[in-house]
Amino acid sequence: MKLLTHNLLSSHVRGVGPRGFPLRLQATEVRVIPVEFNPDFVARMIPKVEWAALLEAADHLRLAEVPKGPIQGYEQDETFLRKMHHVLLEVEVVEGTLQCPESGRVFPITRGIPNMLLNEEETET
Amino acid sequence: MDSNHQSNVKLSKTEKKFLRKQIKARHTLLRHEGIETVSYATQILVVANGGLGNGVSRNKLLPELEKLGQVDALLMPPNKPYSFVTYKTTEESKKAYATLNGQNIVNDLGQKIILYLNFVEKAQWKELGLQALPPGLKVVEEIISSEDEKLLLESVSWTEDTDNPNFQKSLKHRRVKHFGYEFHYENNNVHKDKPLPGGLPDICDSMLEKWLKEGFIRHKPDQLTVNQYEPGQGIPAHIDTHSAFEDEIISLSLGSEIIMDFKHPDGVTVPVMLPLRSLLVMTGESRYLWTHGITPRKFDTVQASKGHKSGIITGDVGDLTLSKRGIRTSFTFRKVRQTPCDCSYPLVCDSQMKEPPPSFPESDKEASQLEQKYVHQVYEEIAGHFSSTRHTPWPHIVEFLKALPSGSLVADVGCGNGKYLGINKELYMIGCDRSQNLVDICREKQYQAFVCDALSVPVRSGSCDACISIAVIHHFATAERRMAALQEIARLLRSGGKALIYVWAMEQEYQKKKSKYLRENKSNQGRQEISSDPSAQELFVEPVPDTGHQDSACSIPSINDFQKGRYHSREVANSMLPIHTNRTSFHSQDLLVPWHLKGNASKEKPTEPFGPAGTHDTGPVLHRYYHVFCEGELEAACQTLNNVSILQSYYDQGNWCVILQKA
Repeated sequence: MKLLTHNLLSSHVRGVGPRGFPLRLQATEVRVIPVEFNPDFVARMIPKVEWAALLEAADHLRLAEVPKGPIQGYEQDETFLRKMHHVLLEVEVVEGTLQCPESGRVFPITRGIPNMLLNEEETET
Repeated sequence: MDSNHQSNVKLSKTEKKFLRKQIKARHTLLRHEGIETVSYATQILVVANGGLGNGVSRNKLLPELEKLGQVDALLMPPNKPYSFVTYKTTEESKKAYATLNGQNIVNDLGQKIILYLNFVEKAQWKELGLQALPPGLKVVEEIISSEDEKLLLESVSWTEDTDNPNFQKSLKHRRVKHFGYEFHYENNNVHKDKPLPGGLPDICDSMLEKWLKEGFIRHKPDQLTVNQYEPGQGIPAHIDTHSAFEDEIISLSLGSEIIMDFKHPDGVTVPVMLPLRSLLVMTGESRYLWTHGITPRKFDTVQASKGHKSGIITGDVGDLTLSKRGIRTSFTFRKVRQTPCDCSYPLVCDSQMKEPPPSFPESDKEASQLEQKYVHQVYEEIAGHFSSTRHTPWPHIVEFLKALPSGSLVADVGCGNGKYLGINKELYMIGCDRSQNLVDICREKQYQAFVCDALSVPVRSGSCDACISIAVIHHFATAERRMAALQEIARLLRSGGKALIYVWAMEQEYQKKKSKYLRENKSNQGRQEISSDPSAQELFVEPVPDTGHQDSACSIPSINDFQKGRYHSREVANSMLPIHTNRTSFHSQDLLVPWHLKGNASKEKPTEPFGPAGTHDTGPVLHRYYHVFCEGELEAACQTLNNVSILQSYYDQGNWCVILQKA
């Protein structure tokens, strides 16, 4: 699971609503998998990122050099874009957990796959 | 091409148009029906548009043909929009060819039909194999007199009387009244400890005594259900609940004759004629194993020569014609069981089966359980094999993805093996699926994917630039759940975002073209099951008024009533889900589709109780639940979403598709 994916995920435990975002990330195994750098692509992602969530997740993974937010003229700033590229697209959580901040419900991440299935009682009816 | 037209004759515009249509008819006949026409005169003509399948009955067509000469035979294959006429001499057939080509005829539905004739070498048709009545079934003709019939019909008062425990309910397809014990449609059973006061009507009592004495029946029933069917009404295929009633079930037909379809779990269908004032007696296999039902339509295909006698509709195809239905009232007598059923058909027995056979769900909970068993568990089991058969991305979907702007965030809800996740490298795509095993396959391909339920997608609202959901929503077992899935997709989209949705279509043949699903059927020849699909087939694109819709399996839904059950109305609760025969047309919207598992080195394979008997595959057969969509149904559902608009709606290779945009 990449951090850009984590940035989209939100808990859907019954009654939690928007307070289910962001999911608290814990990792026991992380890998860095190189991805071809595409500055345009990264630049287009920037406005879509929820920064607070990204920073919190990056912090939990103890990543260094994570920009605190979009900087002026980021579209042309290669250094900035490369850092974002790395954080968003190259860091893969292989084993770990995601926790709903509101309900405490824990979702496992196994072999890079989050399992977000809820059981009968937990889902909205 | 046509020897009757000389090349030096200048044809008028109408003549040219007619000729075009005639040529088109030839091609269609050849391509779709394997009928080869010839350009020289023979004694046999194929009469296109003059068939039982498009409402032309024998007594309409034959007189027209006889005007031109002596007719040796007129063959009218059931459910086909053409017939074959053999004249005594070629001279006469040539006359018919010249005269009748392009001639109008009015069919039994009052539609104006244009006939197109062509010469053939032979009337090619596969004879239907001789079928026997289902074991244990018999029909006793003229068991009561017309006077008694009148008395019986008069004895039933249909006025609504809610105080009276016998009060009749008007179900969607027919009117019903119970005596002796009340029958409950929620569980298809009787309240055994709560008999209705009054018992059976006196007039019935004396009749039953008489039939017992004469040996037509062996047990005295204590429950009576009176059903009244207007033309166009029917009852879905079902087996009378084993635990509710004893072996012998008898049914008296009054007011109109009718065809009742009996179907064996193997798929064999036997249409049985029930004449007026006849008694149907079902015992043994016909009562316990075969389903019986009445297709909701206004005409039945019957044997012309047999007149109104009982028997099976089959065999001599030269003898079939249409019979218009009248109002039929049936008096069904049954004896209530007081002990659990101990029949020899445990697989369909509710007493002996811990798990009932899969039936149309009546609640959200049942729907969820059905999906768990017949969707989720199955995909987990077949994931590997399934993935190996899903490798070719469909062009229109690729087109949709490639047209999205670079840097779009796209969710694939129900991504399966990730077929579409890597199509456009300029997108950031995340896939989700209910099946862990399928998501694992996505992961192996290095895609971003997670496991979740499509009714509850754990993604922030308004975060996706686009969504796709291909062949997913048709796995939800109620209209409400299908709606909820659509709502989820709409929720994920940001304002202006687009979604592409594909669902399996009921109509596998559209605009005269068969879908790939049907075309890839290798054993398509001569399989002449008397189809219960009542929609009239018009061979050529003549403007035909929209007549048969209340008869067809799909009525055009209005925005308000797309949620109501369709042909599979909920009046017969626990009506079994039919098992589909792969690569044939769909006869029901809700069904189980077999999957023949191959190459699976897995431990145990729970073969479904309804694995087709006599299957030639040695591997296990699993069944997946589907609700196939009628034309307009997906659109109607999307129209009720208040935050999206429909940009495009189309048919693609056996699927109904929409492109939505979020407001």
